[in-house]
Amino acid sequence: MVKKIFVFYCSGIDRLVSFIGKSISILMPCLALVIAYEVCSRYVFNQPTIWAYDTSLFFSSYLAALGGAYAYQKNAHINVDILYLAVSSKTKRVFNILTGILAAFFMFILIIVAYEKFGEAVKFDYRKMSNWAPPTHHFWMMLIVSGALIMLQISCNMIKDIYYLFTAQDLIPEPEIDADQEEA
Amino acid sequence: AEHNWRFANLYTRGTAFGDVYGSMAENIEKMSGGRIKVKMMYAGEGVSTTGILGAVKSGLITMGAHFQPMNAGELPAGIVEVGLPGGTADVGELSVLFHEKGFNDVLSRAYGEQGLVYLNPYIQPPVYLLTKKPINSVEDFKGLKLRAPGAYGKFVRNLGASPVSMTWSEIYTGLATGVIDGSIGSNLIDHRDGNHVEVAKYMYRLPLAGAQVLPVIVNQKAWNKLPDDLKEIVKAATAVHARDQMTKSRLWESQAVADMQAKGMEWSPEPSKSDKEAWAKAGETLWDEYSKTDKFSAELVEILKKQ
Amino acid sequence: MEIEALTGILLLCILVSFALGAPVGFALGGIAMAVGYASWGDGIFNILPNTFESVLFSFILLSIPLYIYMGQLLTRSGIGDAMFNASQLVIGKLRGSLAISVIGVCSMIGAMVGIIGAGIMTSGSIALKPMLDRGYDKKLALGVIMAGGGLGILIPPSVPMIMFAASTQNSVGKMFVAALFPAVLAIIFLVSYIIISCKLNPERAPLGTGQEATMTPKEKARTLRDGFMSVLLIFAVLGSIISGIATPTESGAIGVVGAVILAFFFKRFRLGMFKMAGMETAMLVSVAMWIILGATLFSNFHLLMGVQDMIASFTEDLGLPPLGVIILMQLVMLGLGFIIDEFIIVLMCAPLFTPIVVDLGFDPIWFGILMILNIEIAVQTPPYGFALFYLKGIAPPGVTMLDIYKSVTPFILLKLMVLIICMLFPDLVMWLPNKVMGP
Ligand code: NA
Ligand code: NA
Repeated sequence: MVKKIFVFYCSGIDRLVSFIGKSISILMPCLALVIAYEVCSRYVFNQPTIWAYDTSLFFSSYLAALGGAYAYQKNAHINVDILYLAVSSKTKRVFNILTGILAAFFMFILIIVAYEKFGEAVKFDYRKMSNWAPPTHHFWMMLIVSGALIMLQISCNMIKDIYYLFTAQDLIPEPEIDADQEEA
Repeated sequence: AEHNWRFANLYTRGTAFGDVYGSMAENIEKMSGGRIKVKMMYAGEGVSTTGILGAVKSGLITMGAHFQPMNAGELPAGIVEVGLPGGTADVGELSVLFHEKGFNDVLSRAYGEQGLVYLNPYIQPPVYLLTKKPINSVEDFKGLKLRAPGAYGKFVRNLGASPVSMTWSEIYTGLATGVIDGSIGSNLIDHRDGNHVEVAKYMYRLPLAGAQVLPVIVNQKAWNKLPDDLKEIVKAATAVHARDQMTKSRLWESQAVADMQAKGMEWSPEPSKSDKEAWAKAGETLWDEYSKTDKFSAELVEILKKQ
Repeated sequence: MEIEALTGILLLCILVSFALGAPVGFALGGIAMAVGYASWGDGIFNILPNTFESVLFSFILLSIPLYIYMGQLLTRSGIGDAMFNASQLVIGKLRGSLAISVIGVCSMIGAMVGIIGAGIMTSGSIALKPMLDRGYDKKLALGVIMAGGGLGILIPPSVPMIMFAASTQNSVGKMFVAALFPAVLAIIFLVSYIIISCKLNPERAPLGTGQEATMTPKEKARTLRDGFMSVLLIFAVLGSIISGIATPTESGAIGVVGAVILAFFFKRFRLGMFKMAGMETAMLVSVAMWIILGATLFSNFHLLMGVQDMIASFTEDLGLPPLGVIILMQLVMLGLGFIIDEFIIVLMCAPLFTPIVVDLGFDPIWFGILMILNIEIAVQTPPYGFALFYLKGIAPPGVTMLDIYKSVTPFILLKLMVLIICMLFPDLVMWLPNKVMGP
């Protein structure tokens, strides 16, 4: 029964994080397009836009921050794996839990501070300093979501690690390779 | 010490302006007999230059000297404070404006609303425009691509130029390759430090605004912890600092011009009377526009118009 | 707490968390917040908003996503391979020739980007797979990418050079010209090393596999055409910078559009490929940016606590001969590369060191070049170096950090040789800029 709850929780989070991680990558071509448009509009039409600069920064910041959780799920974040690769799989799980606590602490602070900043940004209607002056409150909300997704992913990894420590079995068997990863 | 402060400014270590802020920090320590210890943070040391305002608000940094156009989106009144295009260059007039006609009062409220104490403002030299080709008349601005942030962007658009957004570290290459035809620097000394004269040598004679007025700000909570005598001491030190800024920046400005001239800088030809009128007119419409950004800006522009 | 003690604690925390295999960016951020809370209180958390804003809203960092994306599109559509296939067709008989072409491509990428992350991740995206596919020794391939990608800040345009020139009031143009000698020297050393090392260990660089030998003339012509077109794209991007169409950062977007057009032109555009390139880039960008976020948070905290004062007081009373001072300063910069990134090293050390160097009678431009060479080495030196992390990000699964540490060693020695030559013979560095722009 407990296992079922864990499996339900973990696979749910895995799917949510993976969905957001994959969807957010649509911003990559958008980012290139916005900058290419700005170059064209400035060089060919001699009319630089007032919105491309900020828009491209918003796109890239969303892309970078929101993708953090999916990279966590895929173990893509860089680590120095010299000792890590040399220890037993149980010790690895212990290491994961310890480093997960540190990362979760960081994300917890991020969420709190970004939440305060979000409130301030709404209250005083903070904007970017440019001519276009778009509001920045959504940026802080995005950071809250990014931090929360990473925390959720860490919690889900921890449940899997703790389960393994107690039972020496994977909570969820290694997933099949994604269909769209295959086609490349 | 009883009070340990951090003071952040916009300039890197070893620069002339950086040293002026450094001596203000030393002055506070000396005048308070060591009861306030001030640690100076230069550009990039812990907070980015755009983040000084926010860092003082939150108390991470106790005291700050920020550049208002960088924080136009957080404290719009700062744009009117620093000097709208078309504003006066007369030091006496500016002093009256701030100390007697009510600018200080409005700005104290504007900063106060965000948890900041507004100390004595100080004056720095004005903003100039550097271009690759000489500007013979204001007509020449038509079609130029100029790096001009915020209020200055609107100003150059009124002259028929196109403002371009560009990050500071790309200005040099941007001018060299011709992505932009010219750029605004926060003053003549900045133009010299950025080496921009190597790749664009014509300086336009008219400044975009008369002079720039910048404040020193302190975190409200840290300020409240000071006993009255120390508050007076900090205020006195900022007054000394304001005088330093005035005398030294004049000197440095002329040195910077000499340095740049040695590297080939030339002034664009003296603008005609009608050029000067067109230049002033480009600034005028902005006053109304900026008065609409928030209630404090409206009050400030009101005072300006009464002059 | 004394800054020396705090620095010791921070370093210890880094070593422990790295040993446990923590994700680098999250570990650095977490350590800064935890140690900050213990030594400063909860006020330190206010360091977060400004750090996140200044990193995520930094326009020059946009060259990282844009150039990686261009690299991914080129590689996944097969156009990038075409470049190396063509080069193999021409010089494939020379052992190690592929690695030499990679150095060539990296130099061109170096002329497009101005920051180290974009240099290494773009070079890695385009050139790592072709070397591994052809059976090149893993260590040789990784080292070549690292050394070639590092040229990004040595070959103009270079953001650290612009920052150095600004904070010490020196000529950017002169610095760009002065960097040409060390850049060419580095390239010559790299190519010589590849040739000699492959002669001594032929198994490190297999000769062109049967693929080229069995090609029909028609296939050969097609390969050459494809290769030519992809090199043309690189020249187009370079051209867009030189002719003033775009800034070095923006030119990455031109490269992306160009890569998509080329893919259509060669009928190699597939929606799946396009989607995968986007997803892979997004992942790499996220990984790189979270490292930068954590590391900047860490160094901002360290700076607020006064590490710069420690460096400043350290250089005050040296009592060493002039060259001794120069060497000591470089050791300090190499040491700083252990904990902080390229931009902060320049921001902190340039104004502290340059006046002393000038007082001793040295040329500031020359010293700036030494600083750039130092930074290039510092970010590649184990255990902690941004370039190492970026390279691991771009490397295929199965490449461990130890592989990377081992792979960079000979290349770091080469760069160290360049550095020592430039240090001992200032005239070699300053001859060209003095000739072109006057002393
Ligand atoms: Na470069
Ligand atoms: Na290092």
